[in-house]
Amino acid sequence: MIAWLDANLVSILNGVAFGLLLFTLAVGLSLIFGMMDVLNLSHGALYLVGAYAAYRVVGEAGGSLGAFLLALGVAGVLGLAAGALLAGITQPLARRGHLHQALLTLGVALVVADLLSALFGDEVHSVAAPAGLRGSVRVLGHGYPAYRLFVIGVGLVLAALVYLLVERSRAGAVIRATVADRDMVQAIGVDTRKVLVGVFAFGTLLATCGGVLGGPILGAQPGLDDTVLILGLVIVVIGGLGSVKGAFFGALLIGQIQVLGVTLLPEYASFLLFGTMALILTLRPAGLAGTAARTAAPGSSG
Amino acid sequence: MGRQMRVGRLRPRWILALAGLAAATMTVAACGGSAVRGGGGGGGDQETVKLGVLLPLSGVYAPLGEDMQQGLRLYIDEHGGKLGGRRVELVTADEGEGPQTAVPAAKKLIQQDRVVAVTGVVSSAVALGVRDLFTESKIPLVISNAGADEITGEASSDYLWRTSFANTEPNAAFGPYVADQVKGGGVYVIAADYAAGKEAMGGFKETFEAAGGKVADERYTPFGETQDFQPYLNAIQRSGAEAVYCFYAGAEAVAFVKQYEEFGLADELPLYSAGFLTEGGALDAQGDAALGIRTSLNYAPDLDNPANERFRAAYQNRFEEEPTTYAVASYDAAAVLDQALTSIDGDVTGEQIAAALGEVGEVDSPRGTWRFSETHNPVQKYYLREVRKQGAGFTNATVRELEG
Amino acid sequence: MTGAARTAARGLAARRGAAFRLTVVLLLVALPLFLGPYPISALSRILAFALLAASLDLLTGYTGLASLGHAAYFGVGAYTAALIGIHLTPNAPVQLLAALAAGGIAAGLTGWVAVRTHGTFFLMLTLAVGEIVHQLADSWTSLTGGSNGLVGMPPITVLPGRPLVLAGFVYWYILAIFVLCYAVLRRITASPFGRTMRGVRDNEARMRAVGYDTARVKYVVYCIAGAVAGAAGSLWVAQTRFVSPADLSFEIAALVLLAVVIGGSGSLWGPCLGAALVLLVNDTLSSYVAGRGPLLLGLAFVAAVYLLPRGFAGLRGVRVHVRTRETGP
Repeated sequence: MIAWLDANLVSILNGVAFGLLLFTLAVGLSLIFGMMDVLNLSHGALYLVGAYAAYRVVGEAGGSLGAFLLALGVAGVLGLAAGALLAGITQPLARRGHLHQALLTLGVALVVADLLSALFGDEVHSVAAPAGLRGSVRVLGHGYPAYRLFVIGVGLVLAALVYLLVERSRAGAVIRATVADRDMVQAIGVDTRKVLVGVFAFGTLLATCGGVLGGPILGAQPGLDDTVLILGLVIVVIGGLGSVKGAFFGALLIGQIQVLGVTLLPEYASFLLFGTMALILTLRPAGLAGTAARTAAPGSSG
Repeated sequence: MGRQMRVGRLRPRWILALAGLAAATMTVAACGGSAVRGGGGGGGDQETVKLGVLLPLSGVYAPLGEDMQQGLRLYIDEHGGKLGGRRVELVTADEGEGPQTAVPAAKKLIQQDRVVAVTGVVSSAVALGVRDLFTESKIPLVISNAGADEITGEASSDYLWRTSFANTEPNAAFGPYVADQVKGGGVYVIAADYAAGKEAMGGFKETFEAAGGKVADERYTPFGETQDFQPYLNAIQRSGAEAVYCFYAGAEAVAFVKQYEEFGLADELPLYSAGFLTEGGALDAQGDAALGIRTSLNYAPDLDNPANERFRAAYQNRFEEEPTTYAVASYDAAAVLDQALTSIDGDVTGEQIAAALGEVGEVDSPRGTWRFSETHNPVQKYYLREVRKQGAGFTNATVRELEG
Repeated sequence: MTGAARTAARGLAARRGAAFRLTVVLLLVALPLFLGPYPISALSRILAFALLAASLDLLTGYTGLASLGHAAYFGVGAYTAALIGIHLTPNAPVQLLAALAAGGIAAGLTGWVAVRTHGTFFLMLTLAVGEIVHQLADSWTSLTGGSNGLVGMPPITVLPGRPLVLAGFVYWYILAIFVLCYAVLRRITASPFGRTMRGVRDNEARMRAVGYDTARVKYVVYCIAGAVAGAAGSLWVAQTRFVSPADLSFEIAALVLLAVVIGGSGSLWGPCLGAALVLLVNDTLSSYVAGRGPLLLGLAFVAAVYLLPRGFAGLRGVRVHVRTRETGP
């Protein structure tokens, strides 16, 4: 057992890093769905915006910590703007059900991804890790890339912050109340539109910043938007839509599936992701943290 | 009352449907003719010839498409816009990411644009998917990338020709060299899990094992879905292998090479591969991580022959980058079509071009001279290349020729 | 309005409706006489895809289950038809029946899991099913030819010994099957079972309360939709004579769902028009704007959502969902 742990320690650690990176994407997706009932299919394209921002600002080789922080800033601003815009264009469709909003955001995703390909070309690009986080460090006798440890740290802090914000703070209480009964919150004098736009912008901010964070690991290239979107959707569905905790554990699970699962069952590597999702939804049709109320939500189709 | 309303609203339905039908008819009816009478493909005359180009303009293969287009354009422009003395009219269609986009695009080239020959095609599935279409339309397709062995093997056709390579070849050419380098140590074999990856590894293992090499273990990774190679790299480290042989291209090539270095394998185990691993844009993205990787391919930018000297200078001058094997194969596709068209007098049909392609002798190419085999695949040399620094960037430098 | 007048108006509407349908079919039948092989093969593709969209409409529009895995059954049908074409017989009706059965069986095997979920979960579970079947097609090389696809399917025959090579004849075969399947789907939606489907869509809890086994209803619809999708797959390969994993990819699943939404779900003919639009944008327009196809498609989606809130079916002025309640039992 100890020997097995030792042999797979790096893999397990890596699964955590990958999972937490996906968490930054998934939690935004989950919050936007939970708060606004919008399945934001442009989330992957926004991640890619962040990744290209990192490529442009930090570059493929070299790159200081300052440049990395600047890239985060640029991505943050873009993310907030995109969120406000998306909230604006999806809200008129609120009564038309998920399918129309999903179609709209998918259209936006195609447009954004194609503009990125026109701007940056179709070549594959990598992003350098910021100075000071390059190279590897020793973890219990194994070499491990320092930047991935950094991603683990950032992901954990982020998870704690989002949890406190949504589940424990006053702002979070308003948000949760808005979800439960929009009219009631409006009646006590809160501008629910602002709350909803705020949540949307926060979610997209996490997506673009996730793109910067993931840049040194996944690079920037056409098609990456679909890959991360699918992973994000799988996590959100496994975890239970609208739940921060669900997104967190879903992300960690998918991280391990992608790494440890592949180590243990290499022949079935390509079936693992969707196999896991199918299995979980078969056993718990509303996801790990889901409740029956959420699944029975009306207007679930066009 | 609902019924009554429907009666009143029948009219818009008629108008809508008829307008829709009319619009669809107009969009697609650009060419006349009837679909129930037989008719040959396109043709050309002594003055002009219409050539179709089927390349990925969008999607993940677009960078390859760009290199291929550059090679093709360079050849045609160098020859005054003419092939075989005829003015060339190029019609480009998008191959996209596979047969889904490419098969209708190929149909359009043949049936609507009435081209006399087509060149291009990155994806093997596309090449196989359009085989019957080209054969039955009697229009030659000069493939300048797609590498499935079948294309010039079991599925060969009088109308399919290839100027690039078969997937097995660069790998088979490399086997004896790698066996010699590891001197009895095991080699870990890893590739993307799709037809090209399987063929590549098959080609390598055959000659490698024949030369006395030992395969330590073998692994295929989900194609196009693997972002994190760490678990595979971990397995490689624990296998006790002394070298690694891989097959990846594009985004996966970048991820694999970068992570190979990040997780410390680059210092311990030499990495060998077919040259696609470090070709073109992938090498720029890999950067330092690719230094020292040895690969096998039919071309390297610094090959020492007069044709390449001219070609490389012209290519760099015009496109401000190093030529790739993709550009060379398309350049040569234009060259063989040039030779074939030269040998035809007067009006040209696809049938004549296909026959003339069979008579094309030695092709004086930037990769060295080559000729078509019986099944229309190039008989060519492969070279050992190593990634080295060149100025601010990196290049695949020729080490020596590989003896088949 | 008196009862007699109402009956007369209804009769008039029915006659006009029939005349309309007949005109459309006659126009479609006549097209190969005027159009060249390329537009006709494009129309053949559109018809096969339209049948797929109509089958998905049965699920999405009439029963309220939006699926992202419908391409799986289309692909199963396509592979079945191609395999039979290569190994057994070029006879197209045989391929069609086998594909129909294979699509239905595949839907039967996978559907029981899917129909237990709702809304977004159903969407994602069907996505998982679709991706798993896609992976199977990709990795079961000995049967499917793997990522290179299945090559070498001979031209189809309808009468023994007379292969249909010309695009026009293949088109007529596809059109005939399309019309037949469309008529069957129409009958299903107009039947009492069709009313039950709409009941499940509009208020599942009430349907359960009045004694319907709604899970069973959904399962049956899922299997029918899968079978028709399989038939559409056989029409698809009758024309391309090649099948690869791309034919059951996520892209196809998403495009057909878009066709349903753009066309107007719950009307059958709307999704067929939607399918035509989606394929025209995807195949034809993208060749005029080299490499910028995705941009056009994206703009088309955005425009469709705002300009056609109920799809093409909405333009006709029939409020599809509302009507069912007005004329309800």
